[in-house]
This record gives sequence, C-alpha cells and structure tokens, in this order.
Amino acid sequence: MKILIIEDEKALSESIAMYLASQEYTCEIAGDYTTAIHKTEYNDYDCILLDITLPGGNGLKILERLKEDKKTDGVLIISAKNSLDDKIKGLNLGADDYLSKPFHLSELNARVAAIIRRKYFDGNSVLQFDNLRIDTQTRMVTIENNPVELTKKEYELLLYFVSNKRRLISKEAIAEHLWGSDMGGNFDFIYTHIKNLRKKLMDAGDADYIKSVYGMGYKFTGQ
Amino acid sequence: MKLLVKYNRVNIPITIVALLISSMGFYFIIHYALIHQLDKDLRIEQMEIMHYVKEKNALPETSNYKDQQIEFHLTSNDNIKTRFSTEDVFDKRENETESYRRLEFLVTANGKSYVAEVKKSQQETEDIVQLILIITLAVIIFLILILFIANRFLLASLWKPFHHTLEELKQFNLSSKNKLKLPQTDINEFKELNETARSMTQKVSNDYELLKNFTENASHEIQTPLAIIKNKIELLSQSENLTNTQIHSIQSISDAASRLSKLTQSLLLLAKIENHQFKNSENVNLSFVINHCIENFEELNALKNICIEKIITDDIFIEMNESLAEILVSNIIINAIKHNCPGGAIKIELDTGSLAVSNTGIPPQIHTSELFERFKKDSPSADSLGLGLSIVKTICDTYGFPVIYIYENGMHIIKVIFT
Repeated sequence: MKILIIEDEKALSESIAMYLASQEYTCEIAGDYTTAIHKTEYNDYDCILLDITLPGGNGLKILERLKEDKKTDGVLIISAKNSLDDKIKGLNLGADDYLSKPFHLSELNARVAAIIRRKYFDGNSVLQFDNLRIDTQTRMVTIENNPVELTKKEYELLLYFVSNKRRLISKEAIAEHLWGSDMGGNFDFIYTHIKNLRKKLMDAGDADYIKSVYGMGYKFTGQ
Repeated sequence: MKLLVKYNRVNIPITIVALLISSMGFYFIIHYALIHQLDKDLRIEQMEIMHYVKEKNALPETSNYKDQQIEFHLTSNDNIKTRFSTEDVFDKRENETESYRRLEFLVTANGKSYVAEVKKSQQETEDIVQLILIITLAVIIFLILILFIANRFLLASLWKPFHHTLEELKQFNLSSKNKLKLPQTDINEFKELNETARSMTQKVSNDYELLKNFTENASHEIQTPLAIIKNKIELLSQSENLTNTQIHSIQSISDAASRLSKLTQSLLLLAKIENHQFKNSENVNLSFVINHCIENFEELNALKNICIEKIITDDIFIEMNESLAEILVSNIIINAIKHNCPGGAIKIELDTGSLAVSNTGIPPQIHTSELFERFKKDSPSADSLGLGLSIVKTICDTYGFPVIYIYENGMHIIKVIFT
C-alpha cells in the first residue's frame, strides 16, 4: 500500500511515515505544493494525507485537481484549523475523512486503514489476524469460526486494535477514539472496558491478544 | 429623555415667558396710546371751552353725560395749573368702580376764576385693552399649540435619517459581513454621521477580520508543534525496555501536551461562539441529539456504574446551530459523568420549556454560579480545564437561554430554559 504524506512540517511527516511504515505501508513525503502536485500527477496512491496549509498553495487546490483528473486516491485531510468550514469544504470536494491536529498516530493509522478498506471494498472487507476474523461489512467477529458477541464500542475498540496491531496504544488515544471528547486526564475506566473485551476474546478462543503495558497503554499482539 | 422632550422643556417655557413679557409690554403701550388719545380729546374740549369763554365771556353749560362731564367750581386760587389725572369713581347704579380721565384748568369769566373740570370715562379704553389682552393670550396659546404639534411632526421627519442610521448600526453584525445601508440625506450633520459610521464600521470589520485570522493562525501555529510533540512521544513510547521513570516522564509530557491542545481548542471555540461564527440556525431535534449523546456514553456509564434516568419528551425542536446544540448537550452530559461518584446517578429531563441534567457528586465548595466562569473549578484536579461549563454558558447566552446551576438534595442540577 502506497501512502503520500503532503505536510510541510518535516518533523511531523517523518513521525507519520515512521509509524505507518511499521504497519507495512510504503510512504512518500511531499513538503510543499509543487512537489505534491508533481507527485500526485505522475503516481497513484492508495491514500493521500493532505495538510491544507502548505507553502506555495492551498491543500484544497490539490484535492480539486485530483478530482478533476478523476483520480481515485483516498484522501485524508489533516488540518490544524479545526474549523467547520474547512471540514465541510474538504469533504464536499471529495475527501474521505478529516483529522485535526494534534492527533494520535494510532488514530491516523486507523483512519487510513478504514479509507483503504473502503477503497478496496470487495476484496478486503475481511480483516484477518491470526485466528481472529473481522468482517467489516457485517461487523461479524469470529475466532476459529466461533462467533464473538461484542457491543458497538467493543467492536470499535477491537477494530482500532487490529488496525494498530503490535503497536502501543495509549489509554488517551483509546478514550478519544471511542468517545471523541475530553473526558479528563484519568482513563482508568478504560481498564474495565479492555478487561471485558479481552475476556470475550479469550472465551471464544484461547489466545490473549491484548497486552497491557505498565503505565502507558495496551498492545494488540499475536501469540 | 427624548430630544424633543428636552427641547420642549426649554423651548416652551422660554416661549411662554417671552410672549408674556411682550404682551405685557404690548398692554402698556396700547394703554399709554389710548390714554394719550383721551388726553388729546380732553385738550380739544379745553380749547373749545376756552374759546367759548373768550368769545362770550361766560361759562358754557355744564354737561353730565356718561362719557363726558364738564363742571366748573369757583376758586380763589389763581395759581391752578392745567393738569391731567385719573380717578376712580364708584358708580352706585352699576355697582362697580369706573375710571375717569380728568383735566383741570383755570378759566376766568366775568372776572371770576373757575376751575374747569372735564372728565371722560376710561371705560372704553379699558374695554379695548382687555380685548387686546384676551386676543393676545389666545394667540399665545394657539401659537404654542401649533409650535408643539409642528415640532413633533417636523422633528420626526427631520430625524428620520438619523433613526434609520441608528437602526442600521443596531443591526450591524460583524460576522454577517453585510455592509451598512445608510439613507441618502441632504442634511450636513447626518451626512457627516453616515460618513463616520461607514468608515468606523469598515475599520471595525477590517480589525475583526485581522483578529479572526490571527486567532485561527495562532491556534494553527500552536497545534502543529503540539502535534509534533504528541507524535514523537507516541513513537518514543513504542520503544522497548523503557524504565519506569522514563515511562512516567513520557506520560507526563503527553498529558501536558494534551491539556495544552485542549485548552487552545476550547478557548478558540469560546471565541468563535462569542464572535457569532456559528451562524447557520436550523430547527434542531434536541430529543434526538440528547438520546444520541446518551447512547454514545452508555457503556462508559456502565463502566463507572452510573445509573441514567431519562425523562425525554420526543421531538422537541429548538431553533439553533446544530453543532452548538451538540456541543451544549455533550458538555452538560460529560460534566455530569465526570463529576459523578462511582455508583452514582444521572437524571436527564427534557420538555418543551427546559433541559435539566442532575447528577450525584460531592457538594460544591464554591458558589455554584461561579462554576460558569472560565477556569473556575470546584476540585483542583488537573483532569478538568474548567472551561466546559463556560462553553455551556456562552452558547446559552448567544441564544438568550437562561441557564442555572443549583445544588439541591445532594444533586447538582444544571437547567437550561428555552425562551
């Protein structure tokens, strides 16, 4: 899977590239408007991460050109302007999703995975991880053909884990992903939530996929 | 006080005093002129008498008419000078005092000296003066009345451009970007006013635009470094073999960065609401928004062992911006969850008139109304920024909804009244 990161802040694009590379994506970086136009014109990407404020031009112009050229690259807008106008404008222009800065890399990664899943809908709507199988179309989860009954939030949490497999995910990132709001600095309630999910997964199969990392968060790993 | 009232308050007394003084003057002048005329008649009478005496060397007959009386008295005093005087005589028949103008002079006939006395009634004069006075007073009253009414209509039409401009200025809204529609006028003062209003609003609009851009840019510039900090921390925390001290430091940096980010975002949101940048208003189904929000936090409440009681009337529509409605509802509900105690309860009531959310929790340490102020927190915990309720208050203020916070029977109650 090829990803283009259009972002003028070098430290940021490097972090994103580093994280996405760990999830087996191939990343390219464009640091300004002209490079971005050039790259998008000659290559096809599975997903483009697009910052709106760029030196040399507005990121939304790149989006317009992509749509004019009838390109099917998935587009995730990353903007520091948490402004509703930009969001609506971007989504109307055909962007797939919108994420405002600052974001968790795990969140970004999950969004990219969702965009790519939607893009290759027919072939790839089933996620497989070891014995765990998630059908994102029917929202069915099975382990070795044993169905796992999950609540809506537990399903979202599992999908988040699988999208960020083998990476440490902070409690804050989980809380924000599930409830999307400021719930304060104490995320102890996440613990109970994880415990329930872990128990359901263990009941269906015998593997314990979720490892807790002391003081920091959780990691979804195979055996 | 209205300008017209103030103007009338000064103008009418001055007009009345001026007219009274001038009518008094008028009275005296007329009076003097008429007396002068009377005196002239008396002199003619004197001349006729003198003429008669000179020719006939005898006194004419005395006469005693109502308007003119002539009498002669013998006198030994030869030094009597011609003199005018006024005397009041009581008339028994008509039972009233009448004024007479009298002329006395010396006549010598047959070697005898007489004082001749010619009297003419002033009644006619008085009558004329009185009539004139009445007419003058009537004119004064009529004039003041006309002035009052004319001022009313004239001033109203004169001030029309002013009121129009004032109305335009009242309607002026920075965020709606509408230019002022000022009326054409040929009155210099109002022309100048319109010019000033136009240039001022133009300047304010420009400043506002600059400030808005600055706020957005500042927020942009802050969010990007924060994104770098947070992402680098995330990458750093992926590394194996971190010591507990390192983990603790990483966690603290991450928390601080998150707080800073939320702080700037909340402040930006507050500024945007106060600047009325959420303009689009629609009929929002508040029942739906609330149910959706409760659903979103359902499992969270189950985890915290909080029991939710809903008394929500279906299809309550409120005219407001949809995003703001969502922010309002979620802020109130999150507040009720966050400041609840384990095993506590939340009660959410919605009807046509109000939304009330009550929750259990520790009794407030400061006055509940203070909790709407920015950065005011009941507990000194770092978990909360102390901006959630001020966002609630600001949204309510924007739409003129009164919002109250009370602590009653162990329950914290936030109530928004829709007006």
